[in-house]
Amino acid sequence: MSSTAYGRDHEVVQRLRPEPPSAEELAADELVSGVEFDIFRHKMKMVAQEGKETTMRLGASTGMRWGDVAFGIFTAQGDLAVCATGIYFHALLGQLPIKFLVKHWRNDPSVGCNQGDSFFYNDPFYGGVHAADMGLAIPIFHAGRLICFAAAAVHTGECGGTDPGGLGNGSRSRYDDGILIPPLKVGEGYQLREDILTMLATMNRDPRTMILDIKARLAAVRVVERRIQDLIAEKGAAFFVGALRRILTVTSEAARRKVSRLNDGVFRQARFIDTLGVEPGLIKVMLTVRKKGDKIFLDFENTSPLIPDRPLNCYFQGAVALAALYLCGWFFYDLPANNGLLEAVEWKFPDDALVNAKGDATTSLAPLSMNTVYQAMFQCGARMTFSYDPERAVASWFTAFAVPFYGGLNQHGDPVADVTPEMNSCGAGACRDRDGVHSAGSFFASMSDCSDVETSEADRPFVYTFRGHFDGSYGHGKHRGGSGTGFGMMVYEVPAMHMGGFGNGSRHPATPGVFGGGAVPPVFIRTVRGSNYRSLLAERAQRPRNYGELYRPENPETGTPVYHDISMPIEPLNEGDTFYVCTGGGAGYGDALERDPRAVLQDLRDGVVSAWAARNVYFVATDEHRLRVDEEETARLRAAERAARKRRGKSWEAFHAEWNRKRPAPEVIRGYGSYPDPLDGMAAQDRPTAAA
Amino acid sequence: MRGSYAGGEAIAMNATIGIDVGGTFTDFALRDGNGVERTHKTLTTHYDLSVGFMKGMRRLAEHSGMDLAEFLGRLGSIRYSTTIGTNALIERRGPKLGLITTAGFEDTIHIGRGRSWADGSSPEAIADIARIRKPPPLVAPEMVVGLRERIDYAGKVLSPLTREEIIEKLQVLVDRGAQGFAVCLLWSFVNPTHERMVKRVIEEEYPEDYLGSMPVMLSSDVSPKAGEYARMATTMVNAYIHGIMADDLNRLGSELADAGFTKPLTLVHNTGGTKKASRTRAVLTHNAGPVAGLYAARALGRVIGSPNVIFTDMGGTSFDIGLATAGEIHTYDFIPVLDRWRSNIPAVEVKSIGAGGGSIAWVNALMSNALEVGPQSAGSMPGPACYDQGGSEPTVTDADLVLGYYNPDNYLGGSLLLDADLSRQAVEDKIARPLRVDVHEAAHRIRRLVDARMGQEVFNEVGLKGHDPRTFTLLACGGAGAAHACGFAAYVGVSRVVVPDASSVFGAYGAALMETREVWERSRAIRIFQWAGQRYSTDCDAFNSVVRDLRDRAARDLRLEGYRDDQMTFTLDLDMRFGSQYTLTKIRAPKLEVASADDFRRLCDLFVQRYSELYSPESTFLAGGVNIECFSLTASVPRDVHLPPPQPLGDAEPRADARRGARPAYWSPAEGMRDTPVYDLAALLPGNRIAGPALIEGAQTTYVIEPGWRYEMDGFRNGVLTRA
Repeated sequence: MSSTAYGRDHEVVQRLRPEPPSAEELAADELVSGVEFDIFRHKMKMVAQEGKETTMRLGASTGMRWGDVAFGIFTAQGDLAVCATGIYFHALLGQLPIKFLVKHWRNDPSVGCNQGDSFFYNDPFYGGVHAADMGLAIPIFHAGRLICFAAAAVHTGECGGTDPGGLGNGSRSRYDDGILIPPLKVGEGYQLREDILTMLATMNRDPRTMILDIKARLAAVRVVERRIQDLIAEKGAAFFVGALRRILTVTSEAARRKVSRLNDGVFRQARFIDTLGVEPGLIKVMLTVRKKGDKIFLDFENTSPLIPDRPLNCYFQGAVALAALYLCGWFFYDLPANNGLLEAVEWKFPDDALVNAKGDATTSLAPLSMNTVYQAMFQCGARMTFSYDPERAVASWFTAFAVPFYGGLNQHGDPVADVTPEMNSCGAGACRDRDGVHSAGSFFASMSDCSDVETSEADRPFVYTFRGHFDGSYGHGKHRGGSGTGFGMMVYEVPAMHMGGFGNGSRHPATPGVFGGGAVPPVFIRTVRGSNYRSLLAERAQRPRNYGELYRPENPETGTPVYHDISMPIEPLNEGDTFYVCTGGGAGYGDALERDPRAVLQDLRDGVVSAWAARNVYFVATDEHRLRVDEEETARLRAAERAARKRRGKSWEAFHAEWNRKRPAPEVIRGYGSYPDPLDGMAAQDRPTAAA
Repeated sequence: MRGSYAGGEAIAMNATIGIDVGGTFTDFALRDGNGVERTHKTLTTHYDLSVGFMKGMRRLAEHSGMDLAEFLGRLGSIRYSTTIGTNALIERRGPKLGLITTAGFEDTIHIGRGRSWADGSSPEAIADIARIRKPPPLVAPEMVVGLRERIDYAGKVLSPLTREEIIEKLQVLVDRGAQGFAVCLLWSFVNPTHERMVKRVIEEEYPEDYLGSMPVMLSSDVSPKAGEYARMATTMVNAYIHGIMADDLNRLGSELADAGFTKPLTLVHNTGGTKKASRTRAVLTHNAGPVAGLYAARALGRVIGSPNVIFTDMGGTSFDIGLATAGEIHTYDFIPVLDRWRSNIPAVEVKSIGAGGGSIAWVNALMSNALEVGPQSAGSMPGPACYDQGGSEPTVTDADLVLGYYNPDNYLGGSLLLDADLSRQAVEDKIARPLRVDVHEAAHRIRRLVDARMGQEVFNEVGLKGHDPRTFTLLACGGAGAAHACGFAAYVGVSRVVVPDASSVFGAYGAALMETREVWERSRAIRIFQWAGQRYSTDCDAFNSVVRDLRDRAARDLRLEGYRDDQMTFTLDLDMRFGSQYTLTKIRAPKLEVASADDFRRLCDLFVQRYSELYSPESTFLAGGVNIECFSLTASVPRDVHLPPPQPLGDAEPRADARRGARPAYWSPAEGMRDTPVYDLAALLPGNRIAGPALIEGAQTTYVIEPGWRYEMDGFRNGVLTRA
């Protein structure tokens, strides 16, 4: 797609890999010798870490407060060289707005790019995710010469879209997504422009958080600016420029070296999303990973087409970044995270694809499709890396968010609009040698945490009814996943609060297991309007203490319970109404029949597995009174189940013929494209690749 | 600050002795009012810390020419920085605890804010996401019970608690073998009535005269601050180590009493003060030794005219960093982690990173043969290759030996013989060959890299607290501090380094200098500048009532320590934030109470000023509203610390007998090995100056004076290193 004046720049977003070295960088390279470079690398890591910590300390939104921060240092051409984060995709995508401003504003006399300037951006076309993700960058100069950039990107909970809280399930075009700001100069001469801050605050339901987050990012990049200027004063600008570039070069070489150690092969994974936003529907993301030599090729052919009026679309750059998230966190965990890693990765996107958004398509829920890309990459990655590093060929953490978002006035009369932090307490996937960790965190932001209930209740109008492990929310297996976290909230001390849910996996499991392990079961939301929960509190009634107890017949809560998909359209809940949701657990690893019966017994004792699952999934017989394993009966049950499996087995041809006769209802696949292969429904001319 | 092993001089009455237990040695520092200062080290007896403790006491008595009873009888106080609690926690030797919380939140301790797997882990372990693990729980899931009670953010009771339910849940825990209880209910720091009711019922059901009497720790007592996870973990850890500490300290107290010391034992706290053992919360003893070292650094800084000092301590496995500014030690917002448990104790921060003499160097083939040092450490067993205890990996100490900085026959005064060939072999095989450089250059690179890493960490740590590290004096302590001070100081950017004479026992020395002090904290949210309406608060009572409550508690506590009201001083720190920020910034309140909106305005001004200094004026946001979130009242009994006067400075030129010849040492690839003068530290006198390169060998440490640096012994026998 070509760019137009004042339109989006389709050329700059292609530039995810490092720019060719500049003449200046090449000339400086010889100044960078062995140990000096090793010392420089560590120093830059410290500087970036200081930037990240400062951003986190000062921010106000949920993302900021709980560590969802990507801090990066970029070359003068805009390449990410050093970062401190667990949310790697924000750091990798952070180069696009900088490359944009280098290309468009640096030499534009009406804008310029000078010492003391600061630039804000949140257009997901350049940031690559959705409008709630916002960034701020500054250029860093020495003796009048542009040396590098520093930037901080983080999810600010509210972005002025049709729905409060930064996540628009009901968006129909990008104009519903909220403010969409391409790189915009917001400060000059080390001063933020009050007129621009006022404009940004005016377009936002939670102006205070918006401004505090902007100032937090700015404070952090200014600290880093000072550190870098000191370093340049000590080592010289040429050394700095050369060494920054060298980090990219060395990382690229290391990434290719590590990739080359993997066996060549082709790995395929079809993943599915079960929502179109406000209504359920099935969408397919198809990823084929071809590993050859020192390169990994990602091919998204046969993915569902773009859905222009539903918010699931994502930009291809975001999809690449989410695939890279797996690489940074799991495969390249021992390498520096920068866009040099992408030298080992190539990609191909169909022109008409959900994961290659364009035009006016809304991307408000892009994180769902991006996560699905990540999930597909994770599945391929586990198989691709098993022979090289089996300890890290693990099952996936829960990948479907399951997060409430809200907007309204809090109990102090202040406007608030954000998400809750429990998405940072999903279960971790199981490994070859151990079960997954319960409530471990978030796969996409591993440095984040889920906060305290007290901290949330202090300035959010909720009383939590419970918050604990959601037992049984994981995938079974030889090693099971860790449990997710279930929690409930009662709207408190305000007349009403708008609430909705963000995520997928209510109708189709979003997180499959590996090597025979089980998928994470579906997750969903329950609301109770007209709840008597407040009375139950006052009367000291036996209230549900965890997510599982919600469904027991003796649950005394009355009112109008409604079950929603996780992707729940926002609606007002009144004071006293309750809202229950859970994050999923981690996926399972290996065949459940191979699980040590003693581990099943321990899970029974801990309440982590149900008696039903122990018997019918793990085929372990226990003495329920003495809580002991009946080993003989267990062996018999397992042998019988193995025999039954053989009886159920079919030839591939028979299975294929039977499977292809099945077809979801038309309303389920209205966003899917041609079923079962979206590719079949596309005209040949619609299939050329957009990016390669 | 004179370390002395010479005996003979009897100590005066009311002498103070500081004792610091370390991983290898237990250090002793004795001071009396006549200016006698004496230090000693014994091997730490991990099986029973009191054995090493008493052995050191006997040796000090011998040095003083006194029998143990007479020596102990002259001591005014024994200030003990103990690791009993920390060891019990790490070794999981605590009792089987029951944890009582609000129903529905029984998993809080195990969820650990999701990311508890990262607390207390190294950066490398945190980055390896595929292999994360949460720490084994101190309290098993079946030992957690929930009470059907609920209090809201303002302290209002939404669901009352009944005695019957407490008894029912208590019985469950007792039946499952509980030996003690930690209680943490939601919002108990705002309204502690339910927690107190739990304690009352337990004490009624299991009174002290019953054999089944069990300790009960309330989070609203141990840690009355917002954030239930850290409050719960702090209370749990306190309950976990309480009994073991009490038993060990009681036994030690009895042993001391039998030997002639009849006063109460005093413990060093990580809050930067001391309290009687009987009035100490166990959790406040964690990491007290390094904090005591920082206090010694502050005291030394005041004496030598350096109010801004960076305290560093480089040992075998870790490198500690602390900070004193304007002659004071300030507390900063940070999360003290007790082993693997996030806490909210008001500890003074002394950061520890994994770098030391035992850090292992390696070549990262994946990263184009980049040289790396750590995070793996050879520790003390097997230790560096040169220890000849089976270690074959090249360490920082091996690099120093290859470079000629250590004398293999006179390392630590000859107490440990080193095998230079083993060092050379390790560096040659593992580093020099892959990097295609000679063994000396390889060792030089290892040293430069570890020095850079430590220096950069120091810079970062000081910078994060809003200071320019280059304006500070750097104190280098620990066994390897003097050997690396010139190296890492260059990366901090300081031009003046002081190696204290007592650097090898600095924690013990600090313990002997510390004053009685305790920090009393309480979270209480007060909006002193309101976003809606843009006005300052006038609700002075909300502020003053918190302060008065804290001051009353603090004064009562000090009276029970035996102090009069006129001996006590109080200072108030406030944790504040803009609007809905999470992280807090601390300021010192100019006075304890407020009387008008103008006082609130003044507090806001101080907060904005501090925030500007820390971050930047651009980042302040008064209009977004300003809250106080937590009050910290420090109650202390100041004591005059009279350090002995400095000795007069003599000739710049060391005496001839201080020179121990020369040996080849490596200073740069350009020069290669070069004959370098060697001096005997014990024979140097105040005023002596030595230009680098030079080596100075002492009984506890070796100074490595790099080219471009100059050593001078000051009147306290401290080594002052300055860049020429």
